[in-house]
Amino acid sequence: MPKVARLHAILWGVFSVGGFIAAFLLPVLIYIFGIAYPLGLWPISGQDPTTSILNHHHLGTMFLFVTVAGSLYHGIYRFQSTLTELGLARAKRALEVIGYLIIIIGILAVAYYLLMLNPSVLSLP
Amino acid sequence: MSKEKPFPEYKRKLGPGWWLANSHFTQYMIREWTSFFVAVFSLIYIYELSLFASGARADALNLLKNPGVIAFNVLALLFTMYHALTWFYLIGKVQPIKMGKTTSKPWQALLVNIVLLLIVSFAVIEVLVLR
Repeated sequence: MPKVARLHAILWGVFSVGGFIAAFLLPVLIYIFGIAYPLGLWPISGQDPTTSILNHHHLGTMFLFVTVAGSLYHGIYRFQSTLTELGLARAKRALEVIGYLIIIIGILAVAYYLLMLNPSVLSLP
Repeated sequence: MSKEKPFPEYKRKLGPGWWLANSHFTQYMIREWTSFFVAVFSLIYIYELSLFASGARADALNLLKNPGVIAFNVLALLFTMYHALTWFYLIGKVQPIKMGKTTSKPWQALLVNIVLLLIVSFAVIEVLVLR
């Protein structure tokens, strides 16, 4: 397999895993964080969900990392390809570069902020 | 890599509104647009985490209570659910499972995955929020 095709296959594979994460884990995060908390709906009672989730140290931190990083990768990857389908085909390369930059910076940022909020996750066995 | 082709390449020109030409294309494009909401929600959440990490917890929570942000989140949930349901259906279409003489139908994959989605969502709420 040519190198470019192999890289494309790997990136597409990660994208596919991101789609799986966006389908199974993202809806519940959007609901508890963006709808239930501000509107005071079930299951929120008092404490904000991010603090509740982070209180479960490793599991909560990993849930947030996997869900946000996977969804970001999937969303940006697919959105930049949608833009090429909507008439920006000439800017395909530039869109890919911008897309991957956002993905890389975004994933690093999620990891950095979660480590700041829960440094003990590094002491995982 | 770039060998000259022995025949002229036909480049089909598509205008930005090609996806309105038939309902299958339109459904496909709506599905593609779900990615916008997935991406923007992820970016908002990263921004929220940055506020939490820098100690501006009150600002982070106030932003969540902004009516515009709530409206966006409701839309994001609807589009994400559309993504999830069509994804489950596609799994059934792309990877039908053979059991003896019968082959699973896409709607069966949709149903099984909806049940899985509910189980996963309740597990997340039970373990990470309610406990």
